[in-house]
This record gives sequence, structure tokens and C-alpha cells, in this order.
Amino acid sequence: MFDHIECFYRPGTLREALLLLRKLGKRGAIVAGATDIVTRADRSPRFFIDVTHLGLDFVRKNRRGCAIGAATTMMALEKSPITCRLAGGILAKAAATCGSIQNRNMATLGGNLANASPAADTAAVLLALDAQLVVDGSRRKRKIPLAEFYIGPHQTVLNGELIKEIVIPALPGGGRWGWSFQKLGRTETDIALVNAAAGLQADSRGRIKWARIALGAVGPMPLRARAAEKLLIGNALSEELLARAGEVAMGEVSPINDGRASANYRREMSAVLVRRALRECACHAGIPILD
Amino acid sequence: MVDMLIMVTINGEAKRFSIAPGDLLLDVLRREAYFGVKRGCETGECGACTVLVNGKPINSCLMFGAQAEGTEILTIEGVAPDGKLDPIQTAFLDHGAVQCGFCTPGMILSARALLAGRPDPTEAEVREALAGNFCRCTGYLKPVEAVLAAAQANREAGLSGARTKSGRSRGQARKRQ
Repeated sequence: MFDHIECFYRPGTLREALLLLRKLGKRGAIVAGATDIVTRADRSPRFFIDVTHLGLDFVRKNRRGCAIGAATTMMALEKSPITCRLAGGILAKAAATCGSIQNRNMATLGGNLANASPAADTAAVLLALDAQLVVDGSRRKRKIPLAEFYIGPHQTVLNGELIKEIVIPALPGGGRWGWSFQKLGRTETDIALVNAAAGLQADSRGRIKWARIALGAVGPMPLRARAAEKLLIGNALSEELLARAGEVAMGEVSPINDGRASANYRREMSAVLVRRALRECACHAGIPILD
Repeated sequence: MVDMLIMVTINGEAKRFSIAPGDLLLDVLRREAYFGVKRGCETGECGACTVLVNGKPINSCLMFGAQAEGTEILTIEGVAPDGKLDPIQTAFLDHGAVQCGFCTPGMILSARALLAGRPDPTEAEVREALAGNFCRCTGYLKPVEAVLAAAQANREAGLSGARTKSGRSRGQARKRQ
């Protein structure tokens, strides 16, 4: 299947990997867990650069937040005590649904993001967590907010660069917090028909101070439902508000028909998952929902 | 294209293979006559090509041979050294969990990785461990029952072994339960 591959490089340092990337240009493709690249239709690369030996498998926490190496596997994210506690464990939960154990032992966080599937489960969660990507090229280093990383289905702003780590900033202090990850798929580990991640912070009187709602598989790229978030700010939660937030989010998505689900179904399920996610956030944060 | 050399340990034996840079691990293993590694969907869905790499189940159809350099691989051929069946294999036979047998090597290896880390798994954990191994004949009830039975057999063997060490006979250990 890959008879045309001329060389499989396994660099041991980041510098070496970047030099190879620069030298090979478009003919070189980055391989991490390989689970996407093997099944991808694009067979144009003639060289592979394995980035799993660059010391990029780590999960670290400090006062400013959390940093995750791009080559950290889904299985490691599921098991890491840091990700299991971070934001109600939603990143660990999302990682645990990324295919079978066989796939999760190989697939990496950086790969899931760089593959840029609109349905990537970790992307929805990381959008809700305001994550940034630390990206390295041979000429420059930069930090890209995940919200500005995607430009279309399977397309990113990366240009001869590789993702080094994913940074999740520390959350604003105080108040009550709740988080949720929701996924609708044919089976528990199947690709998402729709996925959603949400986070809420409420003041002592139960009014929403901070809100994040992100959705996947309902547009060309994972997206934030910003209008729905805005609707919640400053208000106490009620059944009516949850229903309205779902409807507003439904207006922010632009799903397609495909073999898995129709656009209409995905649109309606966006509202359902947003409501479910907000309800779970409220439940975990102890925020009352008025009738 | 330049061939590359990889060094791997397969079923406890050190091996050196000359491979093409784009070879998938599945192709390498089958070329080297490990035919218990089955070619199924080739897209990482069915789990028929499952092997353990450093103790972890992976789909060998989604891993490049080059990535296996320096690893320890266990295939179904290495599960019963000297012909002595693993308790999981015995349980699959006892429970009628094998029909055509195509998915069986992958299931046994997934189950083995599970029991190595969780000797006393719940049914839900067994189902999760086998979720990446598709069976198109018998369904999943019997394999799940077989893995739970193997876990119990392992625990009992461990228990009687411990008792034997402390001076009690196997029979006495059984009686006490």
C-alpha cells in the first residue's frame, strides 16, 4: 500500500525532525500514531517523519495551566491523573471514546488535532478549554489558539511546522464550575455523529459568569457556539434558557448530509447535546435549574 | 527506495528483518509466517490483526513496521509456549467462544492485555477490552463469558499457588473456598 515510500525517518530530537520537515517540504509527512495517515486517501507523501521519539509524550501541570505533549496517546490521556481531574475530566472522557483500545494505544492528541477532522472528539473539548497549540517550524515558533487553527475539513494553518504541545490555560478563579462532554455515535467508540463540550462558571447566586459551548461534526471544522454562550452570561439557568441556548446553537451549525447522518438530524441533535451538556454542567457545579 | 533493517523481539525471540520503509507491521509479520496475525479490514476497525506491542494491544494494519523497531511483540503463536494453552485459550474452548476462528487470535491477545493489568475485571471492562475485535459468527456473549471465566481461573490458580507456597496443598486451598 505504501510501496512508493522512499524513507521512514525516526528522528530522536526536535531539531532533527524540523530539519527533515524543511528539507522534504510537501514530500514529507509527519507520522505519530499512524492511525489516520494509513487510512487517509492522500498517498502523495514519499517520506515519513516519525515524531514519537522527540520527548513529546507528557502531561504537566503548573500554576499557569496544563501542557500536554503532542505525541501523548489517547490512552495516556485517559489514564493521566492530571487530565482525569482537569475540567471534570472531559478531555480524558473524550480521549476514551476515540476508537477501540487498539487505536487509542497508538493515536495521539497532536495527531487528532492536526488531522483536522470536523468530528475530532478532543478538538471540541479543547475549544471549550481555550487551548492553544505551541507550534515549531525551522524558522519560527508560534502559539496558535485552537479556535484559529482550522481553515476547513482536514485543513489547518500549519505550514511546514509541527505541533509541539497543547497548552490549556488555568481557568478564572472562584465560583462554581461544571463541565460536560457529550457524544452521539453509533457505538461508544465510533466516530461522532455530533459531539459537544461545555463548561460553566456560576457566581454564588447561581448566575452564569463564564460559559463555553463547542460542537463537532456539524460544520467544516469544530466550532464554538458563541451566540449560545452569550445568551447564558449574567443569567440564572432555567429550563427555558437551556431550550433557547440549544435553539441558538442549532442556528450556529452548518452540518452536511453523509453516509452517517443527515444534516437535519445533526442540526437537531446539536440542540439536544447542548441542552444535555449544560444540564450536566449545572448538575456538577450545583447550579440550580429553575422550572 | 532503500530497505531498512529492524530489530524486534517476537514471542521472546530476537529477530532482524529487512523491510521496505512503507511496510505495515501486519505485512511484515505475515511475510515472516506469523499467520495467526489475520488480515481483516486493513482500516483499524476489526481487530483481527491485533498484536501486543510492549504489552499493549494495537492494530498491526495501522502501524508501520519501522515503528516496531526495538519493541517486544506478542502474537498468538507466542501465547502457548510448549503447547501449554493459556487459561484464556482454554476458557474460549470450554465456552464455545470460537466458531470460524478468524477473530480469535485478536480477542485472546486483547483479553490477555486486559487480564495482565486487571486480574479481576468487571463485565463492562471485558466488553470494552473486546470492543475493538469484531466477531461475525458467534457474537460476543461467549467470548465475554470466557474471559471472565479465565480471569477467575487465573485467580484461583494464583490463590492455590500462594497457599501451596505457604505449606498448604492445592486440595486444601480449594476446600477452603
